Amino acid sequence: MRGQASRKTILAFIGPAVFGLAIVGIAPLLYALWTSLHFFNLTKLRQIEFIGLENYANVLTDEVFWQAMGRTFFLLGTALPLQIGFGLGIALVLHKPGLTILKTLTRLSLVLPMATTYAVVGLLGQVMFNQKFGVVNQLLNGADINWIGDPTNAFAMIIFWDVWQWTPFVALVLLAGLTMVPGEVEEAARLETKSWWTILRHVQLPFLIPGLVAVLILRTADTLKLFDMVFTLTRGGPGSSTEFISLMIQRVGFRGFDQGLASAQAVILLIITIVLAQIYIRVFYKEV
Amino acid sequence: MAVTPSDADPGVFTAATGTKRRIANRSVIWQVVLLLAIMLVCVFPFYWMVTTSLKTQIVALEAPPVWIFEPTLDNYREALFEDGVLRTLINSLIIAVCTTGLALLLGVPAAFALARFEFRGKKDLWFWFITNRMVSPIVLALPFFLIARNLGLLDKHITLILIYLTFNLPIVIWIVTDQFRGIPYDLDEAARLEGASQFTIMRKICLPLAMPGVAVSAIFAFIFSWNELMFGLILTRSEAKTAPAMAVSFMEGYNLPYGKIMATSTLIVIPVLIFALIASKQLVRGLTMGAVK
Amino acid sequence: MKRRVLLSCAATVALIASGAVAQSDWSLEEAAKPYAGTTVDVVFLLRPGYEAIEAMLPEFEERTGIKVNIIKHPYENALGEQVRDFVAGGDLDIALIDLVWIGNFAENEWVVPIEQIQADYPDLVDPDLDIDDFFPLVLNAFGGWNGTIYGLPFDNYSGLLFYNKCMLEEAGFDGPPETWEELKDTYGPALTKDGKYAFALQSKRNETQSADSFARVLWPFGGSFLDEEFRSNLMSEESQAGLKFRQDLMQYMPEGIVAYDHAEAVNGFAQGDVAMITEWSAFYSTVVSPDTSAVADCVEIAPEPKGPAGRKPALGGFSLAVASQADEDEKGAAWLFIQWATSKENAGEYLERGGVPARQSAYEDPALAETYKFVPALVESWQEGVPEFRPRFAEWPEITEIVQEWGTKMMLGEVTTEEGAQEIGTRMEEVLENAGYYSGDKTLAQ
Repeated sequence: MRGQASRKTILAFIGPAVFGLAIVGIAPLLYALWTSLHFFNLTKLRQIEFIGLENYANVLTDEVFWQAMGRTFFLLGTALPLQIGFGLGIALVLHKPGLTILKTLTRLSLVLPMATTYAVVGLLGQVMFNQKFGVVNQLLNGADINWIGDPTNAFAMIIFWDVWQWTPFVALVLLAGLTMVPGEVEEAARLETKSWWTILRHVQLPFLIPGLVAVLILRTADTLKLFDMVFTLTRGGPGSSTEFISLMIQRVGFRGFDQGLASAQAVILLIITIVLAQIYIRVFYKEV
Repeated sequence: MAVTPSDADPGVFTAATGTKRRIANRSVIWQVVLLLAIMLVCVFPFYWMVTTSLKTQIVALEAPPVWIFEPTLDNYREALFEDGVLRTLINSLIIAVCTTGLALLLGVPAAFALARFEFRGKKDLWFWFITNRMVSPIVLALPFFLIARNLGLLDKHITLILIYLTFNLPIVIWIVTDQFRGIPYDLDEAARLEGASQFTIMRKICLPLAMPGVAVSAIFAFIFSWNELMFGLILTRSEAKTAPAMAVSFMEGYNLPYGKIMATSTLIVIPVLIFALIASKQLVRGLTMGAVK
Repeated sequence: MKRRVLLSCAATVALIASGAVAQSDWSLEEAAKPYAGTTVDVVFLLRPGYEAIEAMLPEFEERTGIKVNIIKHPYENALGEQVRDFVAGGDLDIALIDLVWIGNFAENEWVVPIEQIQADYPDLVDPDLDIDDFFPLVLNAFGGWNGTIYGLPFDNYSGLLFYNKCMLEEAGFDGPPETWEELKDTYGPALTKDGKYAFALQSKRNETQSADSFARVLWPFGGSFLDEEFRSNLMSEESQAGLKFRQDLMQYMPEGIVAYDHAEAVNGFAQGDVAMITEWSAFYSTVVSPDTSAVADCVEIAPEPKGPAGRKPALGGFSLAVASQADEDEKGAAWLFIQWATSKENAGEYLERGGVPARQSAYEDPALAETYKFVPALVESWQEGVPEFRPRFAEWPEITEIVQEWGTKMMLGEVTTEEGAQEIGTRMEEVLENAGYYSGDKTLAQ
């Protein structure tokens, strides 16, 4: 008999975690909800005033907010296909038989970018992409590309680092999927066709789908959360060209000190996150 | 069964294998080149970080950058002992270890219940746990700051230890629930008949079998906590300042001490990289758990 | 409350009673005796003036037994750190106030007026304090708000024109440009060639954009942020002329100037890639030291160029004030430190170590001008100047974010100067409206 347990037992097991997460996860959210309904400026705490949905109205009609949101999804839309493309390529190379030692070393080096502190990635970006003394321009045959000061190039640079840091993750996930393909099925297919594309599409793809779904969920969440690397690399500049949603909220709340407005922005971001998570998890993770 | 080479005409066979071998050779070379390229791209930024950290400011600002120079450890000496990076590293370690421990303490029993008990609202509860992993820290940072301020908890280790639960607990629950679910029920049937409590069953029978999953989630929780910046930046000032928050604090628009910034970066990143390499097997398994479902 | 009134009454009485007697034999050691062992916390930036005081600090600590705990932050984090600390009732005993933060700090009563301190701690006031010795403009702008002085000027800047004499001579100029027009129309084309640029205006999207770039082109052309009714003045002909001038001038600046912070502009100048920069006096030591500058021998300094509305150089700098949240002992110790750090007596050493004191007496010696080439230009700049170069009211932190965003968009050509100014104007007026300036709830002070 599975799952027979008294209420008390269940509560004893699950209670502490629920309680813990409620304190650090829900209490602040309720507070944010309260703040978002007020004029609440850190430097004007004496003027706190209930203003209803005014902050929300401001956020929803603020093109700057929606531009930041659009930019965030644009980043997801450009970086993710690159990560999946490169990741799949790397997984296929690693899946090919032979060269065991070299492959092990490659797998180990793939772990490094993922474990790197995100803030450090941004600092590293500043050093490597500097127009004058950066090594990237030197490696590009002494090109004189202005990475940090040009809106398009700065965005490209953010994409580069995001791809650098997270392609290994995609590669390893897809590699695990490839190893799930039963050996005899794959061999049989190889004898029938030489085209790796056909094999990929018809034999391997079904085994890759769960991994791709996991990648989609996690990368979406992480892009909405993206802050550290951009904060240390471009701080959202030049202009607003790399100001993603989390950076923008941080700016409003902790630099402009308008915590009411920032809370409203945060709540809207949270709603978008939950809706996306619901869709992803309900659609793809049916079994839980 | 498909046609095997031995069934074919012997003459054709040799020619075919010849071409095949040539093709095979060429593809092996390609594979080697690609593998080396992948490794290079992964490792090069670290090489550059470490070499820059060994440069004096003048050498670091030379254009085009120099590859061969006389290395100095001054940046490390300054960062560690004059600017207090050492203390922030210790803070980061304390916080990461404690929050990981706490996440396991709370998360493992919850995961056990989610995997093994039937109760109403289970799905929603699981979903709520997991959603926390996706919430942007900025959503929580604002109100958490205000609450911590009211409770006098700013710049304390415990504050970060607690708030890091928001992303660590979901990781633990996600991975460990999965692991518990994979353990067959009949194993603990006997124990239950003997009247063992659910807690005993979890501890004595299931937990040892779920250890790999627990280890994986602990590794993740540790790495995520070590690397976290935003909460560290907003909720600490000096006493509990974390290493990533420290690295950022050298970025004064007046003068960018790149060597020192890279030295600090190296000090932050190297421990976690070594840890990740040692635990790479578990790490990869954890990452790919979603892939094999 | 009662206790404080009593205290200050007692203090006033004591002040009157002690009078001249205390003045003659006042010493830091004696005054500090009750505070030995007290620790005061203060935020410092990573800039030359702070390093100078830090180097001098052991002497103070030894003489007083007071420990000064310095928490270092980059400028861009310093406001947030302090606001969060004051809001939370944290440990900071001294406030480091940029001139644009003064309204904010004063209105929130996070800092104690000097008069209050003098009344509460009469024994701690150095008879040699001589407040009138500070440049009046600097004292009022950095340390004063609405007629009350809170902080003493500590890390002081004026915008100056740094120019590379060698590059200018080579192009046939015997001196620096007198006006902004001249800089653009004559010096610009002559000096921009072969990968070198005539000028660099640090314009990164942070306070640098508002203070060093945006405001710098408003005032000399007769523009300003606000008109007399506190409505946006950015659409005025003069303001637009200034902003358009900046767009035009960009052709003589390095590419990607929008990402230049001080470090990049100064570095470009110090490497000989840029012939002229308008930068804070504090960078003097960087550009004339052979360790950090390839053009040390060529550096000359002049006041900023004039515009149609005259010379309106950038003004910036920091004062130190006693924080209200400090306890009685910490307040006393904090005051002693502030007084010492900004004293006449220490101004000379501070200057030598790379700081820029705001004491008029420190610059009296004409020989100084030979050692420190920036002194004449600095003193001249501090005679005239606009205290509200950037409005100093409590709303500035919100407004500067708006200016930074749209100011950089303007420079990138993503919006025209009119569109950008319109955006800033609307958003700025909204902030001011909420603050109550238009309903008459708040006096129009900037």
